[in-house]
Amino acid sequence: MINRLRSVLRVIAGSFTMQAKERATNQFFVGTLLVLPIIFTLLSVGTYLYGGKGNFGLYAVIGAGMMGVWNANLWTSGRIVEGERRGGTLSMLIASPTPFPIILVGKSLSNAFASLISLVVTFATGLIAFRLELDIANPAAFIVSLLLTLISMTCFGLVLGSTFVLTRNAGDFMEAANYPIFILSGLMFPLTILPAWLRPLSSILAPTWGNLALGASAGLVADNPWLIDLYLIGLSLAYLMIAQTLFKKVEYLVRRDGSMEVF
Amino acid sequence: MTAIKIENLGRIFSTTTGTIRRTRKDITALENINLVVEPGELFGLLGPNGAGKTTLTRILSTVLLPSSGRAEVLGMDVVRDTKKLRPRIGMVFGGERGLYWRLSGRDNIQYFADLYLVPPEVSRKRIPELLDLVGLTERADERVEGYSRGMKQKLHIARGLVNDPDVLFLDEPTIGLDPIAARELRAVILEMNKRGKTIFLTSHYMYEVDELCQRVAVVNKGKIALIDTPSAFKTMVADLEVVEIECREVSPEALARLRAHPRVASVTMENHEGAQSLQIQSPGGVESIPEFVRILEGSQVQKVITRQPTLEDAYVKLLGREALNS
Ligand SMILES: Nc1ncnc2c1ncn2[C@@H]1O[C@H](COP(=O)(O)OP(=O)(O)O)[C@@H](O)[C@H]1O
Ligand SMILES: [Mg+2]
Repeated sequence: MINRLRSVLRVIAGSFTMQAKERATNQFFVGTLLVLPIIFTLLSVGTYLYGGKGNFGLYAVIGAGMMGVWNANLWTSGRIVEGERRGGTLSMLIASPTPFPIILVGKSLSNAFASLISLVVTFATGLIAFRLELDIANPAAFIVSLLLTLISMTCFGLVLGSTFVLTRNAGDFMEAANYPIFILSGLMFPLTILPAWLRPLSSILAPTWGNLALGASAGLVADNPWLIDLYLIGLSLAYLMIAQTLFKKVEYLVRRDGSMEVF
Repeated sequence: MTAIKIENLGRIFSTTTGTIRRTRKDITALENINLVVEPGELFGLLGPNGAGKTTLTRILSTVLLPSSGRAEVLGMDVVRDTKKLRPRIGMVFGGERGLYWRLSGRDNIQYFADLYLVPPEVSRKRIPELLDLVGLTERADERVEGYSRGMKQKLHIARGLVNDPDVLFLDEPTIGLDPIAARELRAVILEMNKRGKTIFLTSHYMYEVDELCQRVAVVNKGKIALIDTPSAFKTMVADLEVVEIECREVSPEALARLRAHPRVASVTMENHEGAQSLQIQSPGGVESIPEFVRILEGSQVQKVITRQPTLEDAYVKLLGREALNS
């Protein structure tokens, strides 16, 4: 059992580093990490300031940061699977004794941590362009919330990533899902302006709670950040379980249809 | 226990074409395959392009499901027992894909060692050994994108061996390699077999199968045409001699007359730079040479030689001339 856990961790660590090495040579990712966050920040903060709600500056920066993180994350779920298929490695990964979702966890986490760069860029943009004051009420909770946000978004990406094995246009799908998820999880404007029937959908999305946890730690909302963090842990575990079950079905389908390769 | 056992195996691919009026087309890639490979054997699957070699290799290595029939590797079902089977087999597909080009050769192998749950204390010893076996030690820390085709192929094999598999599947491992690299790779394959690994190899090069394999199955259009040892396969053409004639401007009429000749089993023609090389399979061919030359009177015959039939000739006799044109 301990040995099994150890080898799983080794696979995650291995996937983490190899993804980092691959990424280091990819210019597209630089665009996603550095350029997009600046645009997101300018757009969101600009919108709020123009609307005369200057005190929402920090809220907007966090939202934009989350968008950046999510964007880096979508790379993971969509483009990783697409890239592996194109490179001919997807069938080798699936033929290995390691369950594919575990491989994805490592690769996704790697991208998620790289996306911290985009978060730094976001805050820097906020500070420099709009002279915002970023004063965070509970720094400890903020850091823990940030980590849990990354992990839960990764696990969410995993659920999507597992199903992406089925399609040859995973990256495009992911990009199409981008803005709906931004809106549904309250990254672009507060959730309260969404119609009530959309709320249940919001409540199962990791970015919603990550955003909330960060907002609460920063003192923007009155909720207890630690409680939201707990919820994030539960949500992550649930995503993992869903991804595992889902992938069993997905693996059967790709083996049946012979669609692991590009043709 | 047998290493590989295949019973009545079939595979059909459904493809759809067109976006508005979708038409479905079924391609039968494999039909009613029956085959047994014993432990320690180096078994060859020989066949032209599109014969179904890759499809069969993919089914045996658990990445594709059969549409009918069943297959066992090491006594385990390739459809259901994947969890137990996967750690014990290795697969290598020919060509340049399937490697992480931005990583070093060593990193590629190390990553798969992790995926195959090889304990670090084992992989620390095994990876340098494998790099040594395939002759990549010196270049192991360079990025794969700078490797030659032959080096990539060797890396593929080292990667496929990282879990010390009992059965190794090699799908056209020497495809696209220059003769020297191909020969080096064949030496590695023989060495692995000597060390006790069962090897299931596909190829469309007769001489490769002749040189390496203890037994061979010839597949064509998804069906097995023959299973035998290469030497027994060659006895199919033992009564034939092969007359090679080099000439220029062979007329279609002359070719037709040659083919219709009562002592000619088959004729294949290759063109190179205006000259043609005819390979005539014929029982007692030597005596017929004067007649062949007479038929080719207008074609500037430049050279005539006779030789013993090869596996390639047996292959042509079995599958017809079309099988060579791939
Ligand atoms: N994933 C697939 N989808 C549709 N057709 C396929 C697929 N894979 C193989 N085929 C078809 O099955 C036949 C056998 O192919 P393959 O096994 O690749 O032959 P070989 O490896 O002997 O060249 C071919 O007609 C090929 O086009
Ligand atoms: Mg093939």
